[in-house]
Amino acid sequence: MTHSLTLKKPVAVALSAMVLFGALSLFAGAAGASPKQAPYQTGRYNAGTPNSSVVVEKDGTVVKYGNGSIVYILPSAALVDLGHALYSANCAACHGVDANGVPPHSAQTSYANVHAGAYPNLQGVGPAAVDFWIESGRMPAAAGTDVQAVRRPQRLTHKQALAIAAFIDTLTTNPGLPYVPSVNLKSASLATGADLFALNCAACHTITGGGDALAFGTYAPSLRHVPANQVVEAIRTGPGNMPRFSGNLSDAQVRDIVAYVTEYIQHPTNPGGLGLGGLGPVAEGFIGLALGVGLLCLAAFWVGERQ
Amino acid sequence: MTDIAVNTKRAKKAQAGPYGKVGQALNGLDDRLGVAKGGRTFMDKIFPDHWSFMLGEIALYSFVVLLVTGIFLTLYYVPSSSIVTYHGPYLPLDGQKFSEAYASSINLSFSVRAGLLMRQMHHWACDIFVGSIVVHMCRVFFTGAFRKPRELNWSIGLTLLTLAIVNGFIGYSLPDDLVSGTGIRIAYSIILSIPVVGTHLAFWLFGGNFPGTVILGRFYAIHILILPLVILGLVGAHLGLLVRQKHTQFPGEGRTEKNVVGSPMFPIFMAKTTGFLFLVGGAIALLGAFAQINPIWQFGPYDNIAKISYAVQPDWYMGFLDGALRIFPAWSFHSFGYTIPIEVLFPAVILPGIVFTLGYLWPNLEARITKDDEIHNLLDRPRDRPHRTAAGAGILSLLFMLFIASSTDVIANYMHISLNEVLIAMRVLVLVSPFIGYAVAYYICKELQGVEKAGKRKTHNIVTRTATGEYVTVAAPMNVNDMHAELHAVPVPNYIEDDAVAASASSTAGVRTVDR
Repeated sequence: MTHSLTLKKPVAVALSAMVLFGALSLFAGAAGASPKQAPYQTGRYNAGTPNSSVVVEKDGTVVKYGNGSIVYILPSAALVDLGHALYSANCAACHGVDANGVPPHSAQTSYANVHAGAYPNLQGVGPAAVDFWIESGRMPAAAGTDVQAVRRPQRLTHKQALAIAAFIDTLTTNPGLPYVPSVNLKSASLATGADLFALNCAACHTITGGGDALAFGTYAPSLRHVPANQVVEAIRTGPGNMPRFSGNLSDAQVRDIVAYVTEYIQHPTNPGGLGLGGLGPVAEGFIGLALGVGLLCLAAFWVGERQ
Repeated sequence: MTDIAVNTKRAKKAQAGPYGKVGQALNGLDDRLGVAKGGRTFMDKIFPDHWSFMLGEIALYSFVVLLVTGIFLTLYYVPSSSIVTYHGPYLPLDGQKFSEAYASSINLSFSVRAGLLMRQMHHWACDIFVGSIVVHMCRVFFTGAFRKPRELNWSIGLTLLTLAIVNGFIGYSLPDDLVSGTGIRIAYSIILSIPVVGTHLAFWLFGGNFPGTVILGRFYAIHILILPLVILGLVGAHLGLLVRQKHTQFPGEGRTEKNVVGSPMFPIFMAKTTGFLFLVGGAIALLGAFAQINPIWQFGPYDNIAKISYAVQPDWYMGFLDGALRIFPAWSFHSFGYTIPIEVLFPAVILPGIVFTLGYLWPNLEARITKDDEIHNLLDRPRDRPHRTAAGAGILSLLFMLFIASSTDVIANYMHISLNEVLIAMRVLVLVSPFIGYAVAYYICKELQGVEKAGKRKTHNIVTRTATGEYVTVAAPMNVNDMHAELHAVPVPNYIEDDAVAASASSTAGVRTVDR
């Protein structure tokens, strides 16, 4: 009995691997031998999540892939000219006209320039990364020498961001991955999201999502005001110091995390009263000592004699 | 005929005697148990009225709140590490599998009527309990109330503080949420860091390697039974010694080393202190109702030791230890095949050891330095003992800086400073602060000594212009509240039979005095 049980598991694994491999090779075939062939089928960018909705144009360019959880869409090629103009006006000064980046100036040896990849090469970063940096207001940058770009009000619109992404895509033979994601939170599991958030995100962004300081002036930003699609983009592209979560989280898992972040991290229920900024014992200690003990000392002062 | 007469209210009152039904009941009690003599002594117990003598009462009454709310919590909390599937109203946890301890804490917060209020009141009461002990200790220290004959009570108080901190930490660990699990992990590492016995101690306490399955049950027994009993016993001893040795008092007219001037236990002190009980309970209830504390549902379960939240602090009273651990350099010592992790051992074991030992020894150290073997019932003004005040300020500065170091990340994040720079700054501040604290306190004391009526409001000058154009300046009379009005103490009667004195004493609601 136990013998047959031990046999079953590897067999199941082998079977499912074969099925998966078959599905992937099917998509590889669908993509054809075009120069615009994208390696999305290998699942490098979404942990092997099967792509159920793939749209391929006549020239073989994959313009859309994804599944019921997240759909990744390539910005329209019609926006390339607009994108070129916007790129020249807003980005080329630092990233260069060919978007291949500018090496750090020898005289500028600040941490930002040396370690954080100042003026990085944008060729092949993928539309999602471009969209994230522009839509979160971090690009165009406020100051090129900052250790870490700060989230600001958006400077360029969503369409302009897509246009720039479309233009940058034309600079390489293969379009960068991932495409701009669109997440569907309808059947998300909050429990899975909360669990995965604690495992993958809380180590930097804190368990309440408030963000916190990291080493050498860098920090994990607060998640309290980040739109759903930007959370997906950040997870899939790993902006700045953040690791790129592409190999260990499936699209459904990313969707669950996004649902937890946008529903509970951004709108905590706080059934216990005032949330105290989600700061935990720092705020609680202050309230307990200043308000609790402090007011009770004043009460003693009121009740007792002062001579 | 007599029946009719007795039925009137007046007749009933007359029959009950001058003290009414209560008096009759007390008489009955005295006939059976002989409570009159002891009761009279107790009710005539004199307590000095200064407001700073009530700080310990904040601790006492928050402990009462802790006991009451704690009993409620024990009805619902399950100290078990066995894994259950949670189903409940909080969706991000619905369907997750985690320990029964965490599930029962969540249930008690969301599904038990008034459960969350009780949990929050318990936690706020704990923060206030430890805080008021510290404030009370500061009062005792800076006024020299720990001197002979009260050294033992000082030690009991310090032990109470230690036990309160330990029990607070253990209680914080019980819900088995992510943050408390991290706390237990740190505690485990601290125990491991002790040379020679550390590993054995940790394995003995946790029943094996971290986290094991027994620690919650053991913590529970310690938290709800062992330590509360010890604390209760020590509180009894603390108050018993206070009654036996009588309370200290500030020097003033009519107050000597040999008497106690203040209000009698009944009715004045009892009314005041009962009112204060309700103030403390009310403040804690308000905090519990309106300010959220330790939202364990946001933290999630500690079901996977790979889970960690950044920026986790302990409750405030553990802050100095956390701060010390954070800022201590990564030094460790390897030899003979053993590692001694100084980076954990010193900040978490040796440093608190030194601070608390110094606390226990202080009354004897001071007596030895000042060569003072006298009995002291009159308190010092802090400024009159500048070296003691300065030493206390120095230690407090050190502990406060370590406490601040516990939130290095919050400081760095909110002030947009590099975390590394905050770390270095805190190291410097911790080393320098005791000396600065000492010097500043010493010079403030010295300056205050030289100023008459320091702390009193200045009286204003009234400038009047006479009809002839002359200006006259007259100092206004002192503010009524600043005038030291000495109350005339009424002696406490020595005998219960001395009705005349007793009557006169109870009719005067003023202060009373008794020989020690």
